[in-house]
Amino acid sequence: MRITVLYVGSSLLAPLKNAEREINRAYGLDLRVGAYNFGAPLSDREWQDVDRDLAETDIVFVIHVMDGENASRLVAALDAYKDRHDAVIVINCMPELMRHTRMGRLDVSRIASTGGWIGSRVKRRNGARHGHQYLKLVDRLPGILKFIPTAGALTDAKHYLYLFCYFLQPTPANIQSMLLYALKHYVRDKRLKTVKTAAPQQVRSVAIYHPDATDLFDTFAAYEKWHNAKKKKRLHPDSTLGLLLMRPQVVSKTTKHYDALIRAIENEGLSVVPAIATLMDNREAVSRFFRNGSPRVSQIVSLTGFSFVGGPAMNDSAAAAEFLRELNVPYRSAVSLDTQTIEAWRESPTGLNPVQAGMQIAIPEIDGATEPFIYGGIPVRGQEPAPLEDRCARFARRLKRWNNLRTARRDRVKLAVVLFCFPPNKGNIGTAADLDVFPSVFDLLERLASDGYRVDVPATADELRERLLGGNSEEFGAPANVAYRMPTTEYLRLCPYVRDVEKDWGAAPGSINSFGDDVLIQGVTLGNIFIGVQPTFGFEGDPMRLMMARSGSPHHGFMAFYTYLSKVFNADGVIHFGTHGALEFMPGKQIGLSGECWPDRLIDELPNFYVYSVNNPSEGSIAKRRSYAELISYLTPPIENAGLYRDLAGLKDLVMAYRQSTNENEREKLFEAIETLSRELHF
Amino acid sequence: MTKTRDEKVLELYEQLLEIEQRLIPTGLHVFGRPSPPRERGDLLKAIASFDRPEAGLRALPEEFADEAIREFVANGADAAVHCLEQRGLAAETTRPVFALLENVSTKLETNTEIDSLVRALRGEFIEPGPGADIVQNPDILPTGRNTHALNPYGVPSAVAFARGKIVASSLLNRYKEENGRYPEAMALVLWGLDNIKTQGEGVAQALWLLGVRPVRDALNRATDVEVISLEELGRPRIDVVMTVSGIFRDLFSPTVHLLDKAVRLAASLDEPLDENYVRKHVLEQIAQDNCDADEAATRVFSNAPGNYGTNVNFMVMDSQWEREETLGDLFVTRKCFAYGRDSKGQTIEGREARIAMDRALSRVEATYQNIDTFEIGLTDVDHYFEYLGGVSKAVEKRAQARPSIYLSDSLSRDVKIRSLEETVRLETRAKTLNPKWYEGMLQHGFRGVAEIENRVSNTFGWSATADAVDDWIYSEVANTFVFDESMLERLKELNPHSAHALVQRLLEAHGRGYWETDPDVLEKLQEISHDLEDQLEGVA
Repeated sequence: MRITVLYVGSSLLAPLKNAEREINRAYGLDLRVGAYNFGAPLSDREWQDVDRDLAETDIVFVIHVMDGENASRLVAALDAYKDRHDAVIVINCMPELMRHTRMGRLDVSRIASTGGWIGSRVKRRNGARHGHQYLKLVDRLPGILKFIPTAGALTDAKHYLYLFCYFLQPTPANIQSMLLYALKHYVRDKRLKTVKTAAPQQVRSVAIYHPDATDLFDTFAAYEKWHNAKKKKRLHPDSTLGLLLMRPQVVSKTTKHYDALIRAIENEGLSVVPAIATLMDNREAVSRFFRNGSPRVSQIVSLTGFSFVGGPAMNDSAAAAEFLRELNVPYRSAVSLDTQTIEAWRESPTGLNPVQAGMQIAIPEIDGATEPFIYGGIPVRGQEPAPLEDRCARFARRLKRWNNLRTARRDRVKLAVVLFCFPPNKGNIGTAADLDVFPSVFDLLERLASDGYRVDVPATADELRERLLGGNSEEFGAPANVAYRMPTTEYLRLCPYVRDVEKDWGAAPGSINSFGDDVLIQGVTLGNIFIGVQPTFGFEGDPMRLMMARSGSPHHGFMAFYTYLSKVFNADGVIHFGTHGALEFMPGKQIGLSGECWPDRLIDELPNFYVYSVNNPSEGSIAKRRSYAELISYLTPPIENAGLYRDLAGLKDLVMAYRQSTNENEREKLFEAIETLSRELHF
Repeated sequence: MTKTRDEKVLELYEQLLEIEQRLIPTGLHVFGRPSPPRERGDLLKAIASFDRPEAGLRALPEEFADEAIREFVANGADAAVHCLEQRGLAAETTRPVFALLENVSTKLETNTEIDSLVRALRGEFIEPGPGADIVQNPDILPTGRNTHALNPYGVPSAVAFARGKIVASSLLNRYKEENGRYPEAMALVLWGLDNIKTQGEGVAQALWLLGVRPVRDALNRATDVEVISLEELGRPRIDVVMTVSGIFRDLFSPTVHLLDKAVRLAASLDEPLDENYVRKHVLEQIAQDNCDADEAATRVFSNAPGNYGTNVNFMVMDSQWEREETLGDLFVTRKCFAYGRDSKGQTIEGREARIAMDRALSRVEATYQNIDTFEIGLTDVDHYFEYLGGVSKAVEKRAQARPSIYLSDSLSRDVKIRSLEETVRLETRAKTLNPKWYEGMLQHGFRGVAEIENRVSNTFGWSATADAVDDWIYSEVANTFVFDESMLERLKELNPHSAHALVQRLLEAHGRGYWETDPDVLEKLQEISHDLEDQLEGVA
């Protein structure tokens, strides 16, 4: 007996495989369940396996398939093997697929309003209200089912709704029941006669989850009580993070990745409130669990991979931004790999595949999300998501740093302000598109001083510049003042990546930004604020390096600069000042970095603020994704019409005079004058 | 036929008007400070010159715009509405425009960028906001927000596709006017910058040249393409080589697949070869190289995975090259990585495809890039010459002919296609040599001088990659910034490093044969250069 399930996401595979095992053990049906993730377009080779299965299967489930290319292949196969299949059950898919549902005498149009829920709402606005309706459906459907007769014309519709109820609460037991129910009612086999299916299990639609608790919590109070006793620690907003989890993941008990991240965060001394997200609209869960008038948490971390308001099929980012602004708690969105395996991601030079990059990075950004971290995914031979332990730890430490910024006394906060210099020339220190950097930084320093940061503000912006460009720079032949000489021994001790840098640049300290056996860190220290100059790519005078198709690692000077910021100066945060620097363009994956990627290694655990031109959303997005930057946009300069000047203005006068004149004699003279002047002006 | 006197004067008049009305930045921004309360009329007029159907706004008619804006600046929205009413325009159509202008003016008078940064430093939520040119999208105000990109699956939008069609048609018409026929193959530069702001106009142009249109799936994502018939197209399908920035590749990875799919679809059509140049070239290449169709239809190229940029800019800025063709070869070395999916559905994640790129470029007759903004112009940054210049130089060697090089302004009322040379002249006259521009910069002292020098170096980049800079441009730069003694004094005083770099660049322009000038001019430049070096050694 065979069932083929074509699904999207990472919560179904484990319960399906579990169901296969359990059903075979209990009933000896020799059932085989083929399950395929249809989240991203399949290659021909992948499709061959699916096709082979579809040719021989008794029952087909199609769940959440929205990809056009996969869908059109699937439609063709469903038509081709129509006679082979005893039933085709399509749930929450695009309309074309929904129409391929075949169950006895079922009239497909009748189910469009339940099973086709997402597809039918894609183009509509106001996800919020519909999200609410979906939740109501989840809670109420089983009750409603009691009133539908089991015989007659509605029999198959009732079967469909039963299957839908099991699917809505994908507990291991429900998924097992879902398969059995379909077999029992649509496959002719006498072994199935005795099979009994349990009524759908109900799980709350909104609740708090914790891996150390045996049950879900309905209310914050219940969770708090349990937490304070179990963790021997009171929940305090300053040290508590709100996590948003995917409901199917919790219901199906495929939470290893969540559990690991939660423990990593708790290891940093923080507490968590992991709420089951309400899929279509997270505002309800946030309002219920993360606030009580004022916020109960200091950051919100979404692990849903979907938009904050609107769910998988749409996004109401204006509503999301409005809600989050009012709450005034930063919003992070981290990603578990859903449509590619951990191995595929790790081996991929590009990182996250296009489907996830669009859905799980680009859309959350529009809601205001930052820190696009990959923390887990499904291993190639696995059935459920597993954590990436090193990424969980790195992410947790970053969150801890962010929390520290929120709570620390201002006079203890240390900040690094990083300026750029391109093309490499002393005259270009403080490069930034459309921005006058020194007066800008000066204004910022004054503001920081008045806000209680410990900062020695120079007398003027010019003095600031002179101190940075002058100082001891001449002594070292450096473009800017040397704030610190990092001995190579210290660099080797503090930076774990030196060996990798040496593959491209030879033994430390190398020839760039070095002096004898020291690496030079350029900048000036003004109390708790360090103003540094980011080293260049290191291409100067090195055409061979420029000619390489693949760029190498950052050079020692670059690596040591960031090592200095985080490990010697001990910055609590870094402000990259102006559009734009080089860190975020260092080699590594494009989106969804790993610990092997250079930007990830450079920025390390530092919260990254980036003063960025509002006119450059494209390179700015690279900084957000590859160096976890929070952009603070700045205005472009005032614009005016160019106008005409000097002889150009004179030329226009002549032209106007010519055009207005009716006297042929005068026109001829004017024309000559125009010709002479326009030639002089190179027209 | 020679032009009549009147025609000549009219042409000149139009050129002058184009310079006069060109919008230019007049200085630099200082973080956290409101834009100076200078004349805002030009900006407001530009904002009012766009239809904004999404907000229910109609552009002000050009003939009344000046008067209405003056009235608005002097006496406010009601007065402006009243003024236009007297010209026969209904208040209900003009009021929303002035409401927008009022909103923009108010927001420009305050600035909360530093407040935002300080809030961010305390771990507060920073609201997301769109990123764009202020004229294009006044919703970028207030600044101090966390700029975001867009959902790549939405690209190209319906509006972008409609406009892409118009621009692509104008481009082909211009080529045809100059060459008597359509180009068989073009190379397009695609960036994230303009495609985010225009929701994919550049993408739309490429699709339209190929003769396909985007198809949206159940989630309203543009994931497929369909053929536009040759009858509807009314011209052959143009072969399009797309050189895509690393940033576009990252931000628009689904779109990269869409573009690749479009090429493969066009190549697969059973059409006469003189009406489908894509197919023609793919078949030629299969015959010539004995390669498979996948290889022969490779047209979407970018950097190696996780790498960015052509390095052509670094090489030019650092003067590290001897022969021009090195710059074109470097472009290909950095950009010859193929992206998309092959005919078996296997994803191509940056496969090195140097031969395919050489072949594709060898057929190119025109190169083109869409410019979406006057805030970031052709010589404001080094990226335009590294890309459009780089690909043009690469074509020149491989096709053994310099391609026609075009640009368009997508941010103006009408579509305007210009040659590269025309654009360099316009940029030079409207900005580099314009006192309004350089005095605005010099108000910012040190940084202003660096800006002037950067512009001259970027202009030089167009000599190195495309030989597109007239002698007079260098002469006028020298006259304006170096041979004007009081100007030179100011530059030396404010930023001797950049002043020196500027003089050096002029000398390099001559040394490499891009600027023919008199020996005494050079002698003077040399002398000034030596003086500056002495000064720098003294202060360095």
